[in-house]
Amino acid sequence: MNQTPITRTVTVVNRQGLHARAALAVANLVRQFDAKVTLILDGQRAETTEILQMLSLGASRGRTVLVESVGPNAETVADAVAGLFANKFYEEE
Amino acid sequence: MKKLQGIAVSSGVAIGQALVLDYEGLSLPRRLVMSGQEAREVERLDQAVAATCREITRDRDTVSLELGEKYGAIFESHFQILQDTKLLGELRNLILQQRLSAESAVQEVMRRYAEVFEKIQSRNLGDIIDIERRMLKTLVGRRREDLSKLDAPVLVLAHNLTPSETANLDTNFVLGFVTEIGGPGSHTAIVAAALEIPAVVGIGSMLDQVASGDTVIIDGDKGLVIVQPDETTIARYRIEREQLRNQATRLEALSGKPAETQDGVRIELLANIEFPHEVEHCIARGADGIGLYRTEFLYLGHPVEPDEEAHFLAYTQVVQSMGAKPVTIRTFDLGADKTPSLPMPDREEERNPALGQRSIRLSLRYLPMFRTQLRAALRASVQGNVRLMFPLISTLHELRQAKMILADVMEDLDEAGIPFDRTLPVGMMVEVPAVVMMIDHFVDEVDFLSIGTNDLIQYTLAVDRSNKDVVWLYNAADPAVLKLIVRTIEAARRRSLPVNLCGQMSSSPIYTMLLVGMGLRQLSVPPSTLPEIKSICRNVTVTQCEHIARHALTLENARDVKSYLRGELKKWVPEIGF
Repeated sequence: MNQTPITRTVTVVNRQGLHARAALAVANLVRQFDAKVTLILDGQRAETTEILQMLSLGASRGRTVLVESVGPNAETVADAVAGLFANKFYEEE
Repeated sequence: MKKLQGIAVSSGVAIGQALVLDYEGLSLPRRLVMSGQEAREVERLDQAVAATCREITRDRDTVSLELGEKYGAIFESHFQILQDTKLLGELRNLILQQRLSAESAVQEVMRRYAEVFEKIQSRNLGDIIDIERRMLKTLVGRRREDLSKLDAPVLVLAHNLTPSETANLDTNFVLGFVTEIGGPGSHTAIVAAALEIPAVVGIGSMLDQVASGDTVIIDGDKGLVIVQPDETTIARYRIEREQLRNQATRLEALSGKPAETQDGVRIELLANIEFPHEVEHCIARGADGIGLYRTEFLYLGHPVEPDEEAHFLAYTQVVQSMGAKPVTIRTFDLGADKTPSLPMPDREEERNPALGQRSIRLSLRYLPMFRTQLRAALRASVQGNVRLMFPLISTLHELRQAKMILADVMEDLDEAGIPFDRTLPVGMMVEVPAVVMMIDHFVDEVDFLSIGTNDLIQYTLAVDRSNKDVVWLYNAADPAVLKLIVRTIEAARRRSLPVNLCGQMSSSPIYTMLLVGMGLRQLSVPPSTLPEIKSICRNVTVTQCEHIARHALTLENARDVKSYLRGELKKWVPEIGF
């Protein structure tokens, strides 16, 4: 297993930030892969399986979040999560 | 210190710690569990989490189906928040390490998150509060059932108390209670009076201003609730409580003496009871009998219908304790604000319960239940002096039907060779204005009448006594009510039929002289008020009372009647008419 974490830097671009439905989308996405993904903001870490932790990050619009991914699917899932952020979690604004 | 004004329904003063029962105001106390109980509390927490998750997924499915997946997603996120391992870990730790109750742990942890959310200006703050609320509701909902298992004296504060909750209160520890809703004459009020603990109802929004553990004073005379009183106020109320006790002791000294007026007319003072144990109070205060035994409390607070033996045991206890003195068993007056948790097939949701299938109507609808009660009452009749009474009769037909069923049950007992008192007097409540209009017919078919003013007032004035917006219209002193009472008394007297008055009106000192003056020689009152009412009877003459009644009946509105009566009471019995 690749123990070196894959990282991606993403910027929160949607107006409402990483809110409950967005966090749910992240959690649901990550769950489909064999990887452990952590979001990091200002040194505060949140597992992507835990919605409450993600919401507590305060990832509002304009903030930069580090996506850290470990596991066999680390690359794929890191890109997918980054894609979610970039595409405003596929929600209408 | 905060003062809240409500409706006084049971007199006395109570000072103590609040126990807040409702979750609505989110002002539950920080509470610790006893050492050794931590594991049990974690189990409560886990059950509450599971129950809340079930509730949330139900909402999720309904909303997804009705509005679409997108809307259901918010509940899915709530559901997943409750699966959050860090959150659950924090909750369990607070219980295990700080011995917090599950409620307190939920409040503390969720508030911590709420603070974070507030700081980061998260738009999901409302979701956190919503989840907290759901959890507390589940937890408190469960906790409320434990009202019968208290371990320290408390004053119970709630939005509302159900009849079963009030019926199951552990009276050793409940010193008084306050509810946000309710009015005089509501079941909560009646139970409070029966328990002889101070109570205030209809206080309005209160639970957001008080937390369990706060010191609270309940002034059951003024209808006042004082939250976190200052030292001076506490001291003043301590003195008042002491004075009340002294006055009670002074009045109790009358218990051996009859309720005889100055001009030698004997007034029979009967007592209203709900529970067999109240008989002790009645005897101690020299009651002349039980004028109203409200048997519906046998049904409330129990998930199953009481069987014949349960009725029989309760009746026997009352009848035997009273010896030769009369005991009036009123058949169950359920429905309206007193709904048992019994299975009643095809009973529909009532749109207007006070005018719906309640009381005798319910008895005539569920005959086996009615017959069970009648059998037990008849069997108890050989143990002493039993009288039977039907509530809420509104037509002659209804009375005849009830009597026919009684005759039928008697026949059954005869066939089975079970003894009962064949001459048992059978009476009825007068509490529907239609009955008063037809009273000349009713007096031919019963052995006694009992005027139930609580319902009579409600039906005459068309006022829901538990609706605080109209409760001011509910007034025993209303001339229309007084005229109905006079008419009933006169019809009964023409037939030399015993008639008493057993509603709340009879226990309020300001009406005693009026009622005696209108011709009543029997009053049925809550045991706690026996000494007071007796002392009034002993201080006045019937001539005076008749004069007062004559004048009161000429007045046009309740306010004038009341202030006139208050003045007369002050004049003739100054030690009571304060």
